[in-house]
Amino acid sequence: MTTEPAGTRGVDTGEVLVVVPAYNERACIAAVVTEVLAAGHDCLVVDDGSTDDTAALARAAGARVVCLPINLGVGGALRTGFRYAADHGYRTVVQVDADGQHPAAAIEALLHDLHRRNLDMVVGSRFLQPSDYPVSRSRRAAIALLARVIATAGDTRMTDPTSGLRAIRTPLLDALAHDFPHHYLGDTFEALLVATRRGYRIGEVPVVMRPRQGGQPSAGHYASFQAMVRACTVLLTGTSFDLPPRPADAQPGTPGPG
Amino acid sequence: MSTTAKQALVLAVGGLVILLFILRLARRRLLTTRYALGWLGVGLLIAMAAALMPFVGRLGRLANMTPTAVLLTISSVLLLAITVQLSISVSQLQERLRTTAEAHALLARRLEELEQRDH
Repeated sequence: MTTEPAGTRGVDTGEVLVVVPAYNERACIAAVVTEVLAAGHDCLVVDDGSTDDTAALARAAGARVVCLPINLGVGGALRTGFRYAADHGYRTVVQVDADGQHPAAAIEALLHDLHRRNLDMVVGSRFLQPSDYPVSRSRRAAIALLARVIATAGDTRMTDPTSGLRAIRTPLLDALAHDFPHHYLGDTFEALLVATRRGYRIGEVPVVMRPRQGGQPSAGHYASFQAMVRACTVLLTGTSFDLPPRPADAQPGTPGPG
Repeated sequence: MSTTAKQALVLAVGGLVILLFILRLARRRLLTTRYALGWLGVGLLIAMAAALMPFVGRLGRLANMTPTAVLLTISSVLLLAITVQLSISVSQLQERLRTTAEAHALLARRLEELEQRDH
């Protein structure tokens, strides 16, 4: 932990906050934090009610840590991270998985495209370029279906809508900090769908992800199945939340009104 | 004693027992007023159904059902409505709990930052 007043860091400086939602990730969390800090970014670990010493390890590695008292799932952890970022004046957030899948170099690739292509959100995709990243058939099918649904909402082409590696900046960041859905994969898929529908500009960059570096995955076949069910539900009944439309004159990277 | 009369008696006694049970739960503060009122209404309805047995019989003949079937139908619809209402309440509570947990976590972090600044 740095000794400077952390509460004022990042205010109006346009700095980047890397948010790492973590649930029982003691095997990897320290390495992930070290890598992010070495890349020169502020790092916030949102400990999602872990029962192991994830929070202590993250703190020891130099991250700021927010501890949720109960397990809320990835969506809840992310919303907490986004709120923290919004409260502290960050304009860009990069969300990174705590299992060490996402190399720090990928963060730079995301940020680069965010600015160069003037986007509101950039998603790191495993499938934009051929790779040997292991994906089960059920997960691949779920991903294909989700991508299809998103394509119907706007002209966003997604190859990896469930990717947990994303860069988001204001005004979309502020909108998500307040209206972000909690449920599993609502955090990824549904957010993409609603943001697309509301006119936010979303892009993808190819990213080579490493296999999980340790610990237990929180999502398996059952999660893929749930994702499918959710996609179908969204198709049938509409989305469970909404965002304010993208301001017509929005300059990404500057704080929105409110 | 006819079947209908027996059923009316069971209903009256049952409704009364429910009323007393709910009142007792409310007195021991195991139920908030909101839910106590709802269940008192149910108990009252059952007790009153005893007095309405002739009407239930007529309704049954109209729908070609025995009075027993009519009562069972009404009670299962009622139970379904109550469970759905409870599910809605639980969902709302869950959402509030989540929001509270988030606020709690952010405040704890803020306190930590303030303490670090002071030292």
